[in-house]
Amino acid sequence: MLKTTVVVIGGGVTGVGILRDLSMRGIKAILVERDDLGYWTSSRFHGLLHSGGRYAVKDKEAARECIEENTILRRIGRHCVEATESIFVRAPEDSEEYEQEWVKSCKECGISAIPITMDEAFRLEPNLSRKIVSAYRCPGAAVDGFRLLWQTVASAQRYGGQFRTYTEVIGIEVENGLVCGVKVRDRWTGQEENIACDFVISAAGSFAGEVAHMAGLTVNVKPSKGTLIAFNHRLCQRVIHRLHKSSDADIFVPHGSITILGTSSIDSAPDDTSTETAEVEAMLKIGQVTFEDIYDYRILRVFAGTRPLYSADPNAKGRNASRGFVTLDHAHDGIKHFMSVCGGKFTTYRLMAEKVVDIVAGQLGVNEKCRTAEEDLVPDPTPELMGRAKRLFPSYGAELAASRLGNEKLERVLERMEKSPEEKELVCECENVTLAEVEEIASEPTSHTVSDIRRRTRLGMGTCQGTFCAYRSVGAVDRKGVPWAKDTVELFKEFLETRWKGIRPVLWGNMLRDTELTRAIYDAALNLTGVEEIK
Amino acid sequence: MKKTDMIIVGCGLSGLFAACVAASRGKKVQILSYGAGTLAIAGGIVDLLGYGDDGKFCANPLVGIDKIAAQHPYQKVGGSAVVKRAITEFLEIAKSCGYPYLGTPEENVWVPTAIGNFKPSCLVPKSMDAKALLASKKILVVGFDTMKDFYAHMVVKNFTKRLGESRTISEHIVALNFEYGKDLRDINAMDVARWLETPEGQASFISQVKDKVDADTAIVLPPVLGLEPNYEVYDKLHQALGCSIVEVSSIPPAVTGLRLDKMLRAYAKKHSVQIIEKARVVGAEIVDGRCEAVITEGFDRKRKFYADQFIIATGGVYGGGLKTFIGQMKEPILNIDIEVPRVQTQWSHKKLFDNQKQIFAQYGVSVDETLAPLSAGKKVASNVKVIGRSLSGYDFCYEKSGNGVALTTAYKAVAAFCEED
Repeated sequence: MLKTTVVVIGGGVTGVGILRDLSMRGIKAILVERDDLGYWTSSRFHGLLHSGGRYAVKDKEAARECIEENTILRRIGRHCVEATESIFVRAPEDSEEYEQEWVKSCKECGISAIPITMDEAFRLEPNLSRKIVSAYRCPGAAVDGFRLLWQTVASAQRYGGQFRTYTEVIGIEVENGLVCGVKVRDRWTGQEENIACDFVISAAGSFAGEVAHMAGLTVNVKPSKGTLIAFNHRLCQRVIHRLHKSSDADIFVPHGSITILGTSSIDSAPDDTSTETAEVEAMLKIGQVTFEDIYDYRILRVFAGTRPLYSADPNAKGRNASRGFVTLDHAHDGIKHFMSVCGGKFTTYRLMAEKVVDIVAGQLGVNEKCRTAEEDLVPDPTPELMGRAKRLFPSYGAELAASRLGNEKLERVLERMEKSPEEKELVCECENVTLAEVEEIASEPTSHTVSDIRRRTRLGMGTCQGTFCAYRSVGAVDRKGVPWAKDTVELFKEFLETRWKGIRPVLWGNMLRDTELTRAIYDAALNLTGVEEIK
Repeated sequence: MKKTDMIIVGCGLSGLFAACVAASRGKKVQILSYGAGTLAIAGGIVDLLGYGDDGKFCANPLVGIDKIAAQHPYQKVGGSAVVKRAITEFLEIAKSCGYPYLGTPEENVWVPTAIGNFKPSCLVPKSMDAKALLASKKILVVGFDTMKDFYAHMVVKNFTKRLGESRTISEHIVALNFEYGKDLRDINAMDVARWLETPEGQASFISQVKDKVDADTAIVLPPVLGLEPNYEVYDKLHQALGCSIVEVSSIPPAVTGLRLDKMLRAYAKKHSVQIIEKARVVGAEIVDGRCEAVITEGFDRKRKFYADQFIIATGGVYGGGLKTFIGQMKEPILNIDIEVPRVQTQWSHKKLFDNQKQIFAQYGVSVDETLAPLSAGKKVASNVKVIGRSLSGYDFCYEKSGNGVALTTAYKAVAAFCEED
């Protein structure tokens, strides 16, 4: 039987942060995730690395945590962060008193907020509405959720941390009031297995209630769904916030060649990631205050994630609540060495992990101190490696590939290209993903679908939303005969249907045009849906 | 005021074919075109009707057409009898251009695709003779090194799944050695087609596959047998190798569609059709129920084009013939509001590729039996017809009927105009 010290349930940002911290302190740990890493909430947000400005008035502790963690992540996670800075802008309808209070609060929290003239603001961000009345520069940034997760896991792996995706927890084993293991099932093979351990940390986010339920406990998580709109344009060079009391659809975050507008807030089921046209329309209307031409921009897709908000149960014991997140030590419910972590923000994921692992280490009698803020998630590629990459990758692709792959994988991808130059071919032109990368990721044991490759490479996430790269990526995984790539038609359908989900609620204008093209290629020309009766 | 007999807006398959038919009947025709039409995407084979309303394969398209729902353009224009006349005219034009097509409207054939499955289609160029493929004992799937967007191994794998038992199926990669291929410039089917038009390309291809094939072999390859609407490349290779050669239905750029486009343009020009490019038509001048002119907008001014008869062949949503907004769809030239649900998610099924016709695909302009457009049930103008992809009532992807509807409605519009004269 597989044995470890700690099992972490949930491969979102909280879980991988905990895995890294445990591993760096020398505590053996395995993370299990029911889907792919970052499948749920940790990729379904606007990709904002908060400066803390948004919380400065309402919650100073959260604001301070944000600016401190922002500073740390821009250093240790620089390959996942685009240090754009942010601009807070006030529209005429926003309160002037709030602006004054906000300026004061930022100062108190140590968040740099530099006032700029409107001429300067329009020079920096030409698409901003000319009705905007004031603007401040702050140190916000854009962060790539998928990349941060995979790089955090890569860092944990260097210290012996293990993880398994598509591995569902189906039972929590308890003996005499003490956790002794978890029972898991591989979702691809159906195989069940026990993992013996001394401690279980549930970092299942919106699903924390379901995990606790397996041990007969109650954790009151109230998921709240937020919808996001990805535009096929870089509307702004910096993150743009509305300077008002935090509300819906008031944050624009640029990522590469796109911009994400978020978000909304609706009570929902934990797995509800559906989006409705009405929400999109409401968000566009608000967004228009910041960018007047918002209706003219092509939407790439819409998506939604659920915030795992903890609903405080007045009878719950053992609450060790920091403002942003909650740790529940279930010893108070009669099960020792079982803990649930709820809530929290992506920006402060490292700090949450530090606080959780402080508690766990204490109970396990481990004295190692947290070092996660001191070490980079992935080391910088050596000049020698980058030199090789630049000779092989087209245009700016070398830097992109280096930052999304990390050193070891970059090295393997370069070897593929040096061995067979045809693997330099770009499979995904929108996101600059080469055949070598697709084949490398496809051959990893954690890949089971083309969407898994997408989450690791950004394949299919750009302008064409898979219209052209679906054919190429299926062809590419087919080429090496990876074991999961058997049914060609199913591979296409899996990839294209996940792209379609995000387009369906915004099926007008260019989004509908692109869908017509997709159908013309895959249904009219390649007959993906048709029955065959060849004799 | 200059005035012509007929103005056709749009230069895709339906617009071009309508122009050819009208010109061959002595009409003075002007085409106003903006952009390239979708032939370069969809390919040059003519799907007529692959699957009926019940989703079942139609062995005989004409039989299927007479069973299809009343709102379908085929039914609107008079069913199989009209389709047959349209197809006959198309086959005659293709033959007269030296680029004859194979097939009859009474029979669907299984055309191989670039993923190694098959799609039902009806009329195909000689270089896509699917029957010859299915009759062969050996199949050699030929790919080209450095050419993008064709994966021979995937075709072999899926052919083997479908046809394997009785046939030997293998893969062979032909080396291109293009100078520009070495530095990552993408090489697509058009580059290879140009190469195969040269004697050096043909000689190289022949020498690389010659000892892999015999009389029982069918070579399957991407659409690369030349860019011109003729069979020179095909005939040369066929003669030298002595085996069948079959191009697949593939992803853009669709070389076979480009050949068909060239063929029809040449025919149209020969019959004095005037094609005016970069003429974006933005509106029509309708007086007392008749269209007097259509209005184009260029970079600096508006201009009117006058004619007795007008055909709108501007395509669907993709081609720009239909404009969509949140909860709205419009035909922009005649300014027709098309009835669609206010809520966007009602425009489609939950799955994009479902075993049924997609809802939004069937939205479009309503017409009467002569293809005169209707707005709220009333005729918009007595001398205007709407043809091709902007029509309502069909899903070309699911049915495999796109080029068939384009040809049939183009033919019908011209025929209706000629009867009225």
